[in-house]
Amino acid sequence: MILKINSLDLWKIIPIIIFITFVSPVAIVLFSLTGDYSENWLHLIEYVLTGYIINSSILVLGVSLITLIIGVGTAWLISNYEFSGKRFFEWALILPLAVPPYILAYTFTGLFDAYGSVNNLIRDIFSFKDSYIFFPSVRNIYGAIIVFSFTLYPYVYLASRMAFLNQSKSILESGKVLGLDKIKVFFNLALPMVRPAVIGGLMLVIMETLSDFGAVDHFAIETFTTGIFRTWYGMYDLQTAMQLASLLLIFITFFIVVERYSRKNVSYAGNSSVYGEIKSIQVFGINNLLCFGACGIPLFIGFILPIIELLNWTYNYKLDFFEGVFIRNSLNTIYLAISAALICSISALLINFSIRFTKNKFLSFLSSTLTLGYAVPGLILAIGVMKLLTFLDLNFFSHYLELILTGSIAGLIIAYIIKSYALASSVIEAGYQRIGSNIDDVSITLKNTGLKLLGRVHLPLLKTSFLTSILLVVSEVIKELPATLILRPFNFDTLAVSTYIYASEERMFEAAAPAIAIVLVGLIPIIFLTRMIRESRPGSQNRNVNNA
Amino acid sequence: MNKLLKTMSFILVGILAVESIFASEVNLYTSRHYDTDDALYEDFTSETGIKVNIISGKGKALMQRIRSEGKNSPADIFITVDAANLWKLQKDGFFQSISSDRIQESVPSNLRGPNNEWVALAKRSRVIFYNPKKISKMQIRKLSYEDLADSKWRGKIAIRSSNNIYNQSLVASLIANHGIEETEKWAKGFVANFSRKPQGNDRAQIIAVANGEAEIAIANSYYFGLMLSGKKGLEQKKSAQKVSMHFPSQTGRGTHINISGAGILKNAPNSSNATKLLEYLLTNKAQKHIVNNTYEYPVISVVRPNKVMSQFGRNFKEDQTSVSEYGKLNPDAVRLMDRVGWK
Repeated sequence: MILKINSLDLWKIIPIIIFITFVSPVAIVLFSLTGDYSENWLHLIEYVLTGYIINSSILVLGVSLITLIIGVGTAWLISNYEFSGKRFFEWALILPLAVPPYILAYTFTGLFDAYGSVNNLIRDIFSFKDSYIFFPSVRNIYGAIIVFSFTLYPYVYLASRMAFLNQSKSILESGKVLGLDKIKVFFNLALPMVRPAVIGGLMLVIMETLSDFGAVDHFAIETFTTGIFRTWYGMYDLQTAMQLASLLLIFITFFIVVERYSRKNVSYAGNSSVYGEIKSIQVFGINNLLCFGACGIPLFIGFILPIIELLNWTYNYKLDFFEGVFIRNSLNTIYLAISAALICSISALLINFSIRFTKNKFLSFLSSTLTLGYAVPGLILAIGVMKLLTFLDLNFFSHYLELILTGSIAGLIIAYIIKSYALASSVIEAGYQRIGSNIDDVSITLKNTGLKLLGRVHLPLLKTSFLTSILLVVSEVIKELPATLILRPFNFDTLAVSTYIYASEERMFEAAAPAIAIVLVGLIPIIFLTRMIRESRPGSQNRNVNNA
Repeated sequence: MNKLLKTMSFILVGILAVESIFASEVNLYTSRHYDTDDALYEDFTSETGIKVNIISGKGKALMQRIRSEGKNSPADIFITVDAANLWKLQKDGFFQSISSDRIQESVPSNLRGPNNEWVALAKRSRVIFYNPKKISKMQIRKLSYEDLADSKWRGKIAIRSSNNIYNQSLVASLIANHGIEETEKWAKGFVANFSRKPQGNDRAQIIAVANGEAEIAIANSYYFGLMLSGKKGLEQKKSAQKVSMHFPSQTGRGTHINISGAGILKNAPNSSNATKLLEYLLTNKAQKHIVNNTYEYPVISVVRPNKVMSQFGRNFKEDQTSVSEYGKLNPDAVRLMDRVGWK
């Protein structure tokens, strides 16, 4: 009986059960590698695979570079300087997280196509001829790099901002005293200290970029993901498509392993550093303007611009959306998002706690595997979930009712959890890294183990991380489309689904209203998030994590 | 918490399941999501009292869901916008034969499955759009799909990406008539004539002709109807008015036709309701609603196409290549397009 199991074992068993449920859809995808390899592989290798790999690599490199520059750069400016609009940018820089990449892609083509709004406007203003085209086409890999960078940089910004806030001020100040200039302080001291956090954020960006289908498909770029769907839809070869998806996962696993290994020997948990209140340096004149521009441009491209264009479309074409359907779909969306976020964050907390408490290497491996879910294209993941559910239904429930789990909300929630576990886990893991291990030792001496340790000691210290995790998952679920589309019950629409229904036919004007709704609903968790970041600033009332 | 999840879903699904046992309903998996269709379903419900439950999604994904759900699938009807998908499910034995005299009498046999496994609900043709200021009627009069590989069209043709199923079906129909080798030669010449990297949807190709980015575009007929009707805004209407439509291959095989169609699944729990819904969608009233809202062509002869479309000719010659061939040859078409570098 369970009572006989001591608490240490329990903390191994619980995460393993959670793990098995959630990881099996990913395993089902990977399992395709053991099956037959069709002749389509020869065709892929000979004609298209190289192109897929090259394009995906360029995309990832470009997006990584730009998100790093924007994310780390803006976080550094905000953490260290006082300039016009800083208070605003501090939270506003996260706003693009509410805009799914595919929606930014749609608005980009609406704006910058040869006869899109911007080119038309320029022709009108300067009375140029109809054939004059000011903005070059965005329907290419560079356009895609911009779209992903400006919607995903907030992951890097958030991670860097948190890390800079928790960074030991004294080290940076010693650097200055010892004669390092500002640039050297940044590159030689500040950056290495926040590296693990930044790389964690960057991994999320990379996985999201690689798994996206909507934006690359809209720009007609042949990437790994579009190749997966072309193989499935066009050649009717789901097996090969899943094998391709598995290759993508192996590729990402390699990244994760390298990243883990690279920080293995370094402990970043600040135990006794002195955290002085951050004193920002006031900047004036041209520098003030530069800081304003550096923060304003990402916000403008990633958020303000698409909102203007969407509002323009909504205003002109479809205002009646904001009626009954809107409320029903919003409620569906919010209900799903909150359920998934709670379960996902609690799972991530339990798994990370168990890893810390039991120091079990196997568990840690399991957690990394589940992280991969974020990198599986949504629809392929949905196939895995569907197979799991129909398997469970046929074997366990079929005696009573026909299909219980398949086509139920449960299927959707499982898919969301797998899809966003990486978000939750990365935040909670980072939170744990900031809690010194001496706390555990003291607690255990005081007989606070298991749930007590988690609930009484860790949870209060991890409050911010836990809430951040919930909010990130909520904003991810609100945007999720492909898995929702195929796993949902009858007559069940979310905001993303109604956007898709129009956008799939490129009826963008009609898609604009639900798209704005996604952004609006997505803003709710982000506004909470920004308030929390403010409050968690060292020196404000919550001196929770750092001064522990 | 897993338990909580299960209990929660148990209750939810339980409610849904109980509802489904008692209500008179029909379950639809559809990849045809025009919101004007919703009005049809509502009308059907008010006429018959049968509730229409809908899951819309991408054709292939819905087909996979049907496969996974197996004999327990709640799906009664599968609707898709491409004949290839219907052929695939038919071939794999997922459909039952539709037993309706009314449907068999009103819909010509080439628009039904070999044993009535599926039936077309609407037709669309894939046609040529051109700029009448640059290309004369004489030049275009006899133009066929095959002619578009001629080097005199170098840099003048706009068409969307080969990921698009309509292009895949078009190439499949060429393979059905000329074989792979000859079609590949044709495709090489055709791709060399593109005016730009394939991008955008069908309407974007028509707009490219209106703007002078290309002289010829290939797109589905109904998109043009939508643009001309003004439903897509004044700008698109103006663009469409600068462009003319041509039915290719009139002196040869005829213009390429595709269908939007439906089949009833073998394990359909509500198959008689499903037959009723399909019969309804093939009534004069429903067909009129379809042609007047989506600008597709009707599948029953007594209904006429919308005026916007019939001004370009009502009795054009249709390619009689069986739509089943499109499905069969679709993988070949995709591989062929990969080989010739049709992006």
